[in-house]
Amino acid sequence: MPARNTADRYGSVAQTLHWLVVALLIIQFTLARIAGNLPIGLDKLVVLARHKSVGITILTLAALRLAWRFYNPPPPLPPMPRWQAAAARISHSSLYALLFAMPLTGWMMSSASNYPVSWFGFVQLPDLVSPDPALKELLLEVHKTLSKVLIALAGLHVAAALKHQFRDHDGLMFRMLPWRHR
Amino acid sequence: MLLAWLASAAAVAEVWQADQNSGTLRFVATQAGARFSGHFGAFSVQLDFDPKDAANARLDVRITTQSADTADADRDAVLHSSDFFWIERFPEAEYHAAGLKSHGRGWLATGKLSLRGVTQPVDVRFELQPGPEIYTMKGGATLRRLEFGVGQGDWASTTWIGDPVDVAFDLKLRQATAAASP
Repeated sequence: MPARNTADRYGSVAQTLHWLVVALLIIQFTLARIAGNLPIGLDKLVVLARHKSVGITILTLAALRLAWRFYNPPPPLPPMPRWQAAAARISHSSLYALLFAMPLTGWMMSSASNYPVSWFGFVQLPDLVSPDPALKELLLEVHKTLSKVLIALAGLHVAAALKHQFRDHDGLMFRMLPWRHR
Repeated sequence: MLLAWLASAAAVAEVWQADQNSGTLRFVATQAGARFSGHFGAFSVQLDFDPKDAANARLDVRITTQSADTADADRDAVLHSSDFFWIERFPEAEYHAAGLKSHGRGWLATGKLSLRGVTQPVDVRFELQPGPEIYTMKGGATLRRLEFGVGQGDWASTTWIGDPVDVAFDLKLRQATAAASP
């Protein structure tokens, strides 16, 4: 599989970044759920620290994906009704926006609660805002709401891919998979 | 007897004081690889000091442990609990030093800190800038929280909560009016 995108599918760079982000998002939602159920204590601190490190990783990968996308534009969509193409564009750009907004609101929340972020203990990131408990509560709500929007959009994204695969039989899903469409 | 009293009163020529309204007392600790700071909202500092007789100087500090504030209510609650400062049992931390040594451009106090029922030697370094009716006292110390049992159980792990804690102060000391004229 070529590194760069071809006329009818994504190359290995775009595919690797896509599936890496998918895996990290699953880990990320799992860590958030675990932390939410833990009482205040060292375990919660540890899980949240990992959640932040994974979030910063996703933020970095999102930036790399966007940069790669500009350098190497995605293959054109296969023929489909205009509304579907528009919906795909809107949902893809919204997913990208969330890949930035989720980690950034989380990072701001950490700063607002005076828990600076360290990426896996290797490097401490600068604070985005000053400590402010009221702002922290607000950002927590925004972060949670965005996570629900992300789940809904990711669900729509998967449903659309499955619909193209199993109802339209247009092989669209193979654009983002390493093996060949028959 | 009277002569001895007069002599000691003469040696303690100047008494300088500061509290939370005349400066800051901060601490910087590490959690999950990131340094964060907090401050004490209630403390008092008394410096009995004659620059010509530093060997007989005294530095006495009292800190209300409940006033530890890290801008996060959950973390403050843990800090006040028996696992950390144990404020019900140990409402105050105290530092006492007798005699100051010249240290670079400033002074070194080799006193003892009592915190959470443990008394250990702690070196405090600071500079004194004389001003009109005021001394600016700036400096700090590094102590190891585990020497004082600050962080029990899970919290004793230094993997997630660093052992060294930096303390820094920036104070405006004023001459104590009552004690100034013996």
